[in-house]
Amino acid sequence: MIETKSTPIIQLQKVDKFFGEFQALKNVNLEVHKGQKVVVCGPSGSGKSTMIHCINRLEKHDNGRIVVAGIELNDSLKNIDAVRSEIGMVFQQFNLFPHLKVIDNLMLAPRLVRKVKKAEARKIAMTYLERVHIPEQAEKYPIQLSGGQQQRVAIARALCMNPEIMLFDEPTSALDPEMISEVLDVMVELAKEGMTMICVTHEMGFARSVADLMVFMDEGEIVESAVPDDFFANPKSERTKLFLSQILSH
Amino acid sequence: MYVVVGWLDEFLWGALVVLQIFMVGMTMAVIWGLLGAAAKLSKIPVFSVLASVYTTVFRAVPELLVLLIFYFGSAITLTAIAKLINPDIQFVDIPPFWAGSFAISLIIGAYAAETFRGAFQGVDPGQIKAARSLGMSATHTFFYVRLPQMWRLALPGFGNHMLSMMKDTALISVIGVEEILYTAEIATSITMQPFTMYMVVAIIYLVFTTVIMAIIQVLEKTANRHLESV
Ligand SMILES: Nc1ncnc2c1ncn2[C@@H]1O[C@H](COP(=O)(O)OP(=O)(O)OP(=O)(O)O)[C@@H](O)[C@H]1O
Ligand SMILES: [Mg+2]
Repeated sequence: MIETKSTPIIQLQKVDKFFGEFQALKNVNLEVHKGQKVVVCGPSGSGKSTMIHCINRLEKHDNGRIVVAGIELNDSLKNIDAVRSEIGMVFQQFNLFPHLKVIDNLMLAPRLVRKVKKAEARKIAMTYLERVHIPEQAEKYPIQLSGGQQQRVAIARALCMNPEIMLFDEPTSALDPEMISEVLDVMVELAKEGMTMICVTHEMGFARSVADLMVFMDEGEIVESAVPDDFFANPKSERTKLFLSQILSH
Repeated sequence: MYVVVGWLDEFLWGALVVLQIFMVGMTMAVIWGLLGAAAKLSKIPVFSVLASVYTTVFRAVPELLVLLIFYFGSAITLTAIAKLINPDIQFVDIPPFWAGSFAISLIIGAYAAETFRGAFQGVDPGQIKAARSLGMSATHTFFYVRLPQMWRLALPGFGNHMLSMMKDTALISVIGVEEILYTAEIATSITMQPFTMYMVVAIIYLVFTTVIMAIIQVLEKTANRHLESV
């Protein structure tokens, strides 16, 4: 890819993050280029969610720099909402708005943030519901859908803002096993269309098939990052080896 | 029962006064409740401490006492001030209707503050994160995501506050507001039929509270519509 030589769309330099005394991120460095897919894994509490949250400033980092799409995230940044609207985010618990129908979940942000007209917003919403293969669920409330369907709605909701980047935080961990593949399939399709993605996941099959870069985190640090072939075949760190043996054994 | 007929007009007017006190008091109580909840949730210590003092005191002191202290306290203060200006003035008070509505609104507001705060915190923080991640502003997030779910969470408690408010209107007769209990007292002193007169008052309150309960039930059904699967 030629584009990998250009400036990265996401750049983290020496990022630290503290919760009180506790340091959740330690000197994290990461570069993601447009169209790249990065898969992040690591044990519970290793700082994966914290890192993702710092990228759209749901959490503020304490030291270092974070630059997203050419915009530095710091306190002098006037319009964080504008930056956030370029970054789609999908959560483990779906986080759909339960008081709104599926279609209204999708239309809310485009209408409020992008000031899209109602009819136009509905059209966009239906387009993305078709992309995630559930246009027939548009008029239902989230609770009436299965977990896999809810997560696909959540992906569609993020896509309705037409983001440059998609962040996934363990999107399949809360799902029953039989629903995992329907969500991963949608993510693979998205990856093939060239979306820039950071996915926190332990679905290693998915990682092997789409990742350009594997990142392993432990205790707030990026311990190892490598292309998937190297990462799985020759992990360098003992911690990575141990983690992979645990996760691949079941 | 025949004696009641002669007092029907007075009771109807009294009932109207009860409704007025209820409306005015409830409106003010919602305002105190929202302010109190906001102050309690505030990160500024002065506000949260003040709010705690308010909700503690007004829930701890008997309601009749709050009413009496507020009415006579304000009257004594006003009279003292008025006497400075014109020594001939004997007594100045806040009109009992307003003093009474205000006092019970403070009591119900203290309970409502707790209810509203609980409802605010009851909305799943994940949804707030989701809204912010979509680029929605804090204001939009509050009005389109938090508030619509807050009122569902607040409804059961709020329904109880409406019932309390309705019943507390009966207290205001002690400071001379001419509502139904006051009417019953006057009527009793003339007809010597306390049981009948107080039964009339009870029935009027029963009608009001039944209507309130019915309204709450409808609202709760509406609010929970989206949570019924299929
Ligand atoms: N708001 C917070 N306040 C205090 N500590 C926090 C907060 N958020 C996260 N932490 C701590 O920071 C550490 C990293 O948390 P994080 O959620 O980023 O881990 P994770 O890698 O996503 O783990 P998991 O796989 O369980 O989701 C954990 O020890 C967690 O307890
Ligand atoms: Mg996490």
